[in-house]
Amino acid sequence: MLSLNALITASLGYAILLFAIAFWAERRAQAGQISWLRTPFVYTLSISVYSTGWTFYGAVGSAARNGFEFVTIYLGPTLIFIGWWWLLRKLLRVGRAQRITSIADLISSRYGKSTSLAVLVTLLAVIGSTPYIALQLQSITLSFTVFETGGNADLTAFWVAAGLAAFTILFGTRNVDANERHHGVVTAIAVEAIVKLLALVSVGVFVVWGLGGGPAEIFAKAPPEMLSGSNIFSARWVSLTMLSAMAILTLPRMFQVIVVENSDEKHLATASWAFPGYLLLMSLFVLPIAIMGNALLPEGSNPDLYVLTLPLSQGQNNLALFAFLGGFSSATSMVIIAAIALSTMVSNHIIMPLWLRSASSKTQTSGDVRTILLRSRRFSIAGILLLGYLYFRLTGGSGALASIGLIAFAGSAQIIPSLLGGLFWRGATRNGALMGLLAGFTLWAYTLFLPSFEGSFILSKSLIANGPFGLEFLKPEALFGLKGYDPLVHSLFWSMTFNIILFILGSLFSTPRPLERIQSSQFVDVFRLDKSTGSYLVSRSATSEDLFTLAQRILGTNPAQRLFSELAKQQGKDQGLPDATDKVVQTLERELAGSVGAASAHAMVSQIAGGGTVSVDELMKIADETAQILEYSQKLENQSHRLERTAQELRAANAQLTEMGAQKDAFLSQVSHELRTPMTSIRSFSEILRDTDGLDLPDAKRFLGIIQEESERLTRLLDEILDLSHLESGRGQMPLEPVVLQDAIEKSLSATGALIEEAGVRVEKTLPEAPVMVQANFDRLAQVFINLISNAVKYGRGKTPELKIGLTVSGGVALVSMADNGPGISPADRKRVFEKFTRLSEANLAGSAGLGLPISREIMRNLDGDLTLKSSRRGAVFHVTVPLSTPSDLG
Amino acid sequence: MNNPDLATSATRKRKLRDSALLLPLFGVFLLVSPFITIFTGPVTVFGLPLIFVYIFGVWLGLVILARAMARRLDKG
Repeated sequence: MLSLNALITASLGYAILLFAIAFWAERRAQAGQISWLRTPFVYTLSISVYSTGWTFYGAVGSAARNGFEFVTIYLGPTLIFIGWWWLLRKLLRVGRAQRITSIADLISSRYGKSTSLAVLVTLLAVIGSTPYIALQLQSITLSFTVFETGGNADLTAFWVAAGLAAFTILFGTRNVDANERHHGVVTAIAVEAIVKLLALVSVGVFVVWGLGGGPAEIFAKAPPEMLSGSNIFSARWVSLTMLSAMAILTLPRMFQVIVVENSDEKHLATASWAFPGYLLLMSLFVLPIAIMGNALLPEGSNPDLYVLTLPLSQGQNNLALFAFLGGFSSATSMVIIAAIALSTMVSNHIIMPLWLRSASSKTQTSGDVRTILLRSRRFSIAGILLLGYLYFRLTGGSGALASIGLIAFAGSAQIIPSLLGGLFWRGATRNGALMGLLAGFTLWAYTLFLPSFEGSFILSKSLIANGPFGLEFLKPEALFGLKGYDPLVHSLFWSMTFNIILFILGSLFSTPRPLERIQSSQFVDVFRLDKSTGSYLVSRSATSEDLFTLAQRILGTNPAQRLFSELAKQQGKDQGLPDATDKVVQTLERELAGSVGAASAHAMVSQIAGGGTVSVDELMKIADETAQILEYSQKLENQSHRLERTAQELRAANAQLTEMGAQKDAFLSQVSHELRTPMTSIRSFSEILRDTDGLDLPDAKRFLGIIQEESERLTRLLDEILDLSHLESGRGQMPLEPVVLQDAIEKSLSATGALIEEAGVRVEKTLPEAPVMVQANFDRLAQVFINLISNAVKYGRGKTPELKIGLTVSGGVALVSMADNGPGISPADRKRVFEKFTRLSEANLAGSAGLGLPISREIMRNLDGDLTLKSSRRGAVFHVTVPLSTPSDLG
Repeated sequence: MNNPDLATSATRKRKLRDSALLLPLFGVFLLVSPFITIFTGPVTVFGLPLIFVYIFGVWLGLVILARAMARRLDKG
């Protein structure tokens, strides 16, 4: 047997080693050499604080009693970690973005930085963790009693608690920023993780190969009911797996190591497989140890201590001592982290708000908040450990280790609906979270926690057995008549049911405050949000001096100065304090949140910044969000309208272009046709002249005459085409001069006199006596009139052909109308009149290629006038308009 | 997505993320569904109870798969 002295020496030596490691790591961190302290493996090992003294000793006890059931406690976390992409990644990102300091801070921050929620979760965490801490003290004292039955268990527990308090205060409250890593603590925890794994594996290897003669031999010794698997996939199996999966997220110490102490999100990728692997190794030998313990140790031995008693019974003192240190490591690491996590919560969410309220008017003049913060945290640590010790003393260390642990699990699991809802459901509100949490915790306390005292605390024995006032259906362990289930499953079912229902109903029937709304999008959309967008705390009355004083008091003088000079630099100021802009206030609040939690930081900053309520600007921003969405959709609609319009225009342009292309084709074919006709006759007559011998001179002369005539026609045609293209391109600049319109008309009449006489057309002129002066080109104007007159003569023949020429002046414009009494132009043809090579009827006279009207119109347009065809009942009426010449033109 | 390489790598990444979501569901199916009761019979494998081999084998398999996936997700 080991002597108690040797045991105490060993544990003290181990404790001193841990202090030294923590101290050394802290020194390294201060020197800036922390790269190796931040490896993913240190992170993974620190998460193994999940395996406590309960796991180390209790798992074997559980296996001895219930066979395979113990693995469920590890399968839940395994499933959560291999599914890190779902949940843990988001939790970590939110935790870092919002500078979350604890699980209570997370819930409070998500639901609008609510103080009441923070207080509620903190209280519940303390209530749930106290038995758990007592459990660790119990496991340490139990392990002591194995070696020395005469020892004073209470005294041992007291000194262990005191030692842990000293360690935690020393290394857990060095920095005021709870969001900063505790390098010393984490390193010590990592070392402890290795020690407990090695210890358990050593005992396992010794038991399997040293004692049992191989795995097959050992399992052959197992009683069949232990391996029967009857409890596999029972209601308890499923509940325990779910419970442990929920607990790994919500236990205060797990949140502390996974989220708060995390230094790099990428470490999670490694922990996602390494931590399940660690758990696998921790549980691999549990069943063999339990089987061998049952087989070798005397009847009535405590299965929770097989890990120690089995090597001791075989005289393996050193192995037993190692196992003892492993159990010691498991228990102490849990207590240390839990104390840090809980003290942060208690001081940030209970002490600070109380202090703020009591000294609310003195914030700007009172002393250093830093000192108060650190002191409150240290007192909290001592208080929490004292509470655990008292619990241990009061309950007398009764009950199997495993059941106490599960009660704590079930308590912390009540946070899950609010946590998951907060991370994934935008509509979750503070009221919903409050109602769900209160209902869940009340039912948990009533159906599981209080009955676990077996009548010695609040609920009497008779109440537990018969229900309050003898009301059967309110019996704590058979609520509403639900009987026949394991108490844990029963409690979990009712508490979770009411928790989830009230959480959802409460959220649906309440309206979130603006700050809640902002925080909800900050949480739910954490991967979508730009890093620069922070919470919109808008305050106008803050002065940067006040903010600086506050920062100094909480962060310390140097860090505050650094922060503010950086903020000033960002604003482009080389020295002095930054302006108290929204951004400065936001940054400060976030920095402070790292020290005192979101709710307190918000309260402090708002106190200085005035009111603490949501400002109009903030509301405007929220309204803007909605407006922006509306505006955006409207813009989209407008854009599609515009696109449609453009498309329509394009279609029209395309149609026009196609038409123009067709016109051009038609023009070209017309031109070649028109050129071909004279060419053909020229060619055939010249062939006759060349090939016919003895042609009469008169015939030859006639033929030559035809050839000449056709050549002239060809030349005229080409001249016309050239003229037209000249006019159309606008290059044909005509010299303008004052022209007497009557003269031009007379000139053209005399030029076409022969034609008129030949056709027997009667011309009726109604021209004013006074000369009408227009600004034009005489020859071109005459050309237009000649063209119109000859057209009228050619096509406009009535029975007694007539041509009426009129001249009127109005509004600075002279109008010449030429009307014949012919068949007129059918409405369908009216548009085509001005197209090139259009001949309206078969009546065609040689010499016109159908270019006359287009040319005339181009001329008139070049003269700033126009040529139009008027619709009339009979005959064709053309109108020629020309601008009158002004006196300045004359000059 | 004109670049076919880019398109395939984006598709691969998406598939990887989707399978990362599938892994825990797969674990739930193997360990917390009635499926597990298939392996609770009184059968031994090399002297070890089948259920023991099954639970720890699945566990190890999940660890290995998670490791392979974490490495790729980390790179992506």
